[in-house]
Amino acid sequence: MSIFCLGVNHKTAPVEIRERLAFAEHSIPDHLREIRELVHVNEAVVLSTCNRVEIYGGAEAIADAVAELTEYMVSHFAVEPGEVEFYHHESEAAAHHLFEVASGLDSMVLGETEIFGQIKKAYALAQSNGATARRMNKLFQQSFSIGKLVRTSTRIQQGSTSVGSAAVDLAERIFGDLCECRVMVIGAGEMSRTTAQSLLSRGAHSIIVSNRNFDKAEELASELKGKAVRFDDWENCLDEVDIIVSSTSAPHAVVKKETIERVMSKRRGHTLYLIDIAVPRDIEPGVNDIENVYLSNIDQLLQIAKDGQDRRHRQIEVCRGVIAEFLSEKGIEALAEIPERRKLKSGDDTLSDPPGNPVTHS
Amino acid sequence: MNEQNLIIATVIFLGGFILAVVALRSEKKPPSGLNIVIAVAGLVFQSLFLRERGELHGRCPITNGAEVLVFVSWSIVIMYLALGKAFRLSLLGVFTMPIVFLFHVIAIVYLSIADPGARPPDVLDPWLEMHAAMSLLAYGAFGLCGVAGAMYLVQDRQLKTHHTGSLFYSMPPIKYLIDAMIRLLLIGMLLLTIGIVAAFFMRELPTALHFAASGAVWVLYAVLLGIYFVKRPSPKRFSVLVIGAFCFALLTLGAL
Repeated sequence: MSIFCLGVNHKTAPVEIRERLAFAEHSIPDHLREIRELVHVNEAVVLSTCNRVEIYGGAEAIADAVAELTEYMVSHFAVEPGEVEFYHHESEAAAHHLFEVASGLDSMVLGETEIFGQIKKAYALAQSNGATARRMNKLFQQSFSIGKLVRTSTRIQQGSTSVGSAAVDLAERIFGDLCECRVMVIGAGEMSRTTAQSLLSRGAHSIIVSNRNFDKAEELASELKGKAVRFDDWENCLDEVDIIVSSTSAPHAVVKKETIERVMSKRRGHTLYLIDIAVPRDIEPGVNDIENVYLSNIDQLLQIAKDGQDRRHRQIEVCRGVIAEFLSEKGIEALAEIPERRKLKSGDDTLSDPPGNPVTHS
Repeated sequence: MNEQNLIIATVIFLGGFILAVVALRSEKKPPSGLNIVIAVAGLVFQSLFLRERGELHGRCPITNGAEVLVFVSWSIVIMYLALGKAFRLSLLGVFTMPIVFLFHVIAIVYLSIADPGARPPDVLDPWLEMHAAMSLLAYGAFGLCGVAGAMYLVQDRQLKTHHTGSLFYSMPPIKYLIDAMIRLLLIGMLLLTIGIVAAFFMRELPTALHFAASGAVWVLYAVLLGIYFVKRPSPKRFSVLVIGAFCFALLTLGAL
């Protein structure tokens, strides 16, 4: 009895394939039942996210189980034979793969945390549908321990990896919790929308949107649950906000140093952070010289994102070292032989272990 | 008199600082709470040293410049341990250690050259003890406030230049530093006020110079708080002011 993993991910299959193979969440219990009914598959967990579709399983004859599951996938998701190349890992390699996935090392954005919650959810679903037994329970419980350990003992999550997250990170380095921050968006383009949404996702509120085309401002304001102000009026709102995101297509600076200087004299020490993601730049660079005012432009944010990506890439080996150290102490529990006494008692080595600890969703 | 405990405390704070710098540059995160453990270990040996000196004199061990410096360092560490976590400023400990180390080194050199030895009081006065202890705890709060000010200046610089290394990501948000500065100033003012009021109940009133020095420090910090609440200067200027104020307060220790 051993374990295996079969699937595709963002490195091996384009989105056109991944979207066809994706399991709809509501249909996973049915799929799990069907997979368990396959002759060679004893247990299974389906992990289906935007970036990967993977099935982890336990089987006596791995090669047969993999062939059977591949056939199942091809027939159920109407892909032509040869159109998709599934990768598969067995035993230690399968366990190592899951540990790296849980640690965010196999993610498109290295070190991202969402995958950890997605794995927990996938395992909980399989467990509640009776699709897991000893091997999968041990494997997934251990992957949670490793995922947590990697994130707490390394810097894999440190630094931003995109312009939006760099802007949000800087805002948090200034204000801490963004819950009390008010945001103004000047220009209603895609970049403004993305950055404002990143800020909102971290708790910022009270969005004010201003744009030359007032209809567009109203549209974005309604989407972001904020309010729109006319373009001639945005300066009057400056003392109400903590963060300004500017991304207009104006050929000249929209936000002048003297305007910010005037506003700062009325703000009684409140810090102001300006994010200029426009090219040509919307905000005069001299604004950064004003005390208690911070300004980031697109190049600086891109550089921070690049540094963050580089830093995370450098962390991959550190994380692998942490995983190796953990496994050298504890071993891969899912592959450990079941004690003879328990095997004799239950007469089965797949279902003899109690279910894993209850899964809490992060 | 043996300064062994003081030397051990000094080595611990120096080692702690070096360890923190290495940890900041390391690819792996240091164990959480490392700064706290180091600060507690240093505090234990500081306390042992102060207890020995207290037993020697039969009163609060602030009879000479070296003891005063160690007492102020002890107060800074106490303030950090009491408030660092609450203010979400664990890195404050790292910035505190070099100052504590410097004060200890000066104290060790002073004591090794000219230890004045035992100076028991003519009459034990609890109001004098209260005055001294509260005033020096206030100095601890002001010292930690200066450290928070220095941290603000470092992080302000990093934010202005977009220098985002390990230190940047380990530093607290600047808003927390500003909040911490104000709270520490308020705590320091409260303690110093209690200390000064206690002086009026002492059997023997302090000298005019002593009163003038304490009063000057009190007025300076009261003005600083007044400036903050009335004029709201930029946090950068305010940070420079609290650092300057602590330097001035340290100079007045000579008169106390």
